[in-house]
Amino acid sequence: MRPGLRTTSEVVRAALMAITLVAGMPAASQSPFPVDIGGPYALLDQNGQTRTQADPDGKHQLLFFGYANCLNICSAALPLMAQVVDELAADGIDVTPVMITVAPDQDQVDTMGAPLAEIHPDFIGLTGEEDALQVAYDAFKVEIEPLFQDPEYGWIYSHGSFVHLLDGDGELLTLLPPILDVAQATKIARGYITPQG
Amino acid sequence: MSLPLAGHAAEGTRIQVTGEIIDTWCYYSGVMGSPDAVVGSAHHTCALWCSAGGIPVGLLAEDGTVYMVLKVGEDDQTAGGDTTLKLAAHTVEADGMLYERDGLNYLVVSDVVSDLDITNQNHDDYGNVPPFSIPDPNK
Repeated sequence: MRPGLRTTSEVVRAALMAITLVAGMPAASQSPFPVDIGGPYALLDQNGQTRTQADPDGKHQLLFFGYANCLNICSAALPLMAQVVDELAADGIDVTPVMITVAPDQDQVDTMGAPLAEIHPDFIGLTGEEDALQVAYDAFKVEIEPLFQDPEYGWIYSHGSFVHLLDGDGELLTLLPPILDVAQATKIARGYITPQG
Repeated sequence: MSLPLAGHAAEGTRIQVTGEIIDTWCYYSGVMGSPDAVVGSAHHTCALWCSAGGIPVGLLAEDGTVYMVLKVGEDDQTAGGDTTLKLAAHTVEADGMLYERDGLNYLVVSDVVSDLDITNQNHDDYGNVPPFSIPDPNK
């Protein structure tokens, strides 16, 4: 719900009920995700550098499809990603948060860096030509549809829902529904990055 | 075109389950109201907003289990597409594959056996939840 999320995302984080979807200990050896998600792409980051699905430093990645001024699910998902990155960093685990824009008209090389940096200084924003972006959308099964035009913020888009946990090569490890709280999402991610047993 | 399953054996269990297609954000967060208020006809408008805005939809089964819906029928997207919008707040009988992963229940709905429309007519009890989900035309 757009108005609610705009003003209450932090409140919501704190107020998340004891979810019955209790995050169990993930096992890196469990089956591949049941839906075939992921694949190669090549886009431009906020510095104008080409970045592919592989992290240049081999770090694990949290990937979300959104846009920098999105007032819908991004206002929950992007801060969640930032907090998970910080939680993992406290354990000595470096993970890169990445956002692929669904609004290239709004998120351009020279415009998307600043708003993302407000969420987390390590955030990588990716944009590009329509064809290059479509490759990524198709690979990750993300549908984008313009909903309406906000007089203040421009086009509002419907887009994908899940945060993707990728390894350093860009292979999908699992999905993180953005309704999870930070502890649950961190626990799941940690289990894939540093599997137990 | 349906989503292909992953190349390796992803163990799932075929299930048939009846329940309401819910807005998982409002259901779990509690920020818009109690669980009883953020379902059914009272929450239909907000559920549409949330689904369109990217909130994953869930299926709240009669026993209280929530399944995260990964895809429905022939939609070629994860938890998106027109189908999930059409089914917001509807009670459905679904046939699909259940995948338990990371402590979560993921459901790939292969067939909506029946769409029973919005059966939980709770707007008389709760009104529209939240009220501002229907924009005020005077503002």
